[in-house]
Amino acid sequence: MIDQVFDRIARIIEVALALAFILAVLLNFANVVGRYLLGVSLLGSDEVQVFIMVGMTFIGAAVVTRRNAHLRMDVLLRFLPAPVLVVLRIVEQVLLVALAGFVLTQSYFYAWQMWLIGRTSDMAGVPMWIPHATVALGFGLILAVAVWRLTRMARHMPERPAGREAAP
Amino acid sequence: MTFALAVVPIALLLLGFPIFMVLLSAVTVALVFFMHVPLVVLHQNLFGSVNASALLAIPFFIYAGELMGRGSVAQRLVDFVQGGVGSVRGSLGVTAVGTSAIFGAISGASAATVATIGKVMVPAMRRAGYPETFTAGLITAVGAIDVIIPPSIPMIVYGAAAEESVARLYAAGVLPGLMIAAMLAVYVVWRARRENFGAGEPFDLQRFLRATVRSLWALGAPFIILGGIYGGIFSPTEAAAVACVYAALVTAFVFRELGWRDILEAAASTVLFTGQVLIIVACAGVFAWLLTVNQVPAAITAWLQSFNVSAWMLLLAINVLLLLVGCFLDPLSAILLLSPLLVPMVKAAGIDPVHFGIVVTVNLAIGLFHPPFGINIFVAQAVLGLKLETIYRGIIPFVIIYLVALALITYIPDISLIGVRYLLARG
Repeated sequence: MIDQVFDRIARIIEVALALAFILAVLLNFANVVGRYLLGVSLLGSDEVQVFIMVGMTFIGAAVVTRRNAHLRMDVLLRFLPAPVLVVLRIVEQVLLVALAGFVLTQSYFYAWQMWLIGRTSDMAGVPMWIPHATVALGFGLILAVAVWRLTRMARHMPERPAGREAAP
Repeated sequence: MTFALAVVPIALLLLGFPIFMVLLSAVTVALVFFMHVPLVVLHQNLFGSVNASALLAIPFFIYAGELMGRGSVAQRLVDFVQGGVGSVRGSLGVTAVGTSAIFGAISGASAATVATIGKVMVPAMRRAGYPETFTAGLITAVGAIDVIIPPSIPMIVYGAAAEESVARLYAAGVLPGLMIAAMLAVYVVWRARRENFGAGEPFDLQRFLRATVRSLWALGAPFIILGGIYGGIFSPTEAAAVACVYAALVTAFVFRELGWRDILEAAASTVLFTGQVLIIVACAGVFAWLLTVNQVPAAITAWLQSFNVSAWMLLLAINVLLLLVGCFLDPLSAILLLSPLLVPMVKAAGIDPVHFGIVVTVNLAIGLFHPPFGINIFVAQAVLGLKLETIYRGIIPFVIIYLVALALITYIPDISLIGVRYLLARG
């Protein structure tokens, strides 16, 4: 049940980010066309595109975490015995909980400060708490995924395979 | 501090932890236990490292490649190149090299090229009686050209890490990429003549013209990307965005192969790739900041200078290091991990950082198919159904060709820098 909820959330995020990414492509293209054909530029479109990429980075990383698809050097793991691998997987999730929790608190604090002072971006006027909050949101989701994985391990539930697991 | 900046990352890297966790762990240990700075610098650097418009070119180029790779572009390009070189002995092998080079000028994702080109070429080469080891080695090796011929994702990442112009790196990558393609093609023809396989067919002008017309739209993408950048019309990021729109329009409305759902799914794949790579860029940015404020690159450079190491010896040592690292790490992670240390060293030794960027890229491109763990080997095994031992036996001559090319590129800087002088628009 919880796995299905996680998969559904991951898919919704993936599609939402994909749509935002297509918007970024179109904004960039419109800027090029506007500059050469109409002699006008979309002020602030660069900022919006970059903020979309920032969201894709941190919130997208949460989807990658859910799919267990982060880049790693796994060459030596092939030579380690199964019990050692199990211990390593537990250590990895514990460490991930600690790191994600740490980044979440720092990023949440920073985004909150941005909200309080009401700072906006220079050209597009985007409230700066929004792009900064994507860091907190991404690591918050990573934290949730890691906690659920540890719970599964504690209950001796079978591991789910890496890759695009259960994506519709 | 050495514990945080060296012991922690190396230990976690070897134990197979995700690269972004390796970097984040080192940074967190250093910030919490060894440095007396506000912890909020972690967020500022994470955010600041990816809050850069130059990095937008990475997802844009990946998206353009995704769109082009989902349709019949590969088959059209194969038909075009084969139509031109079909009369040469070993023409299918030469076609694989030529098509990969053109495909590399559209996207720059090596593993995808091995899969896309391989699916078309491997059955054709089998039917034509090419030795299986030769086919396996060639198809696994040619994909590496893609990260050397612009647009190249590793060059964008190197540009961001070394604070170098991506347009200059792209101009520098053209000749080395074409040189490697030419060396591979010459080897293919020599081998085909020596072992008497892959007889050519008489040149058919009608067929060639038909294939050219069918491939014109596909050939338009590299023309727009590279012509736009070198002509000073677009920045690399803008060229990438134009390529995305062009690829979507051509595959959806001209070829009529992709629907809206395919376009969205290609974007979703790009989102996942961005999440995989740019989270490492973000964490590597904090790691590089940490190295800089602790003056680690300066200390290493001073230590190295105390040995009076000449530039060629330094490059030799770095080549050996990068080849070893490339066997175990993907190019983007390797560039992000090593650039903060290596770039100040080579600058101090008087080596042009653009030339060095090409040396780094070629080294890590070799790592993509170098036995035993090059990623393209496993792509060829999984997607193309080639046996691992067949690939290992077939790949050796191609590794040697790339190493010869690497030596030439390393010790003749003009092979790279001539492109910077003559390809970029003046003013």
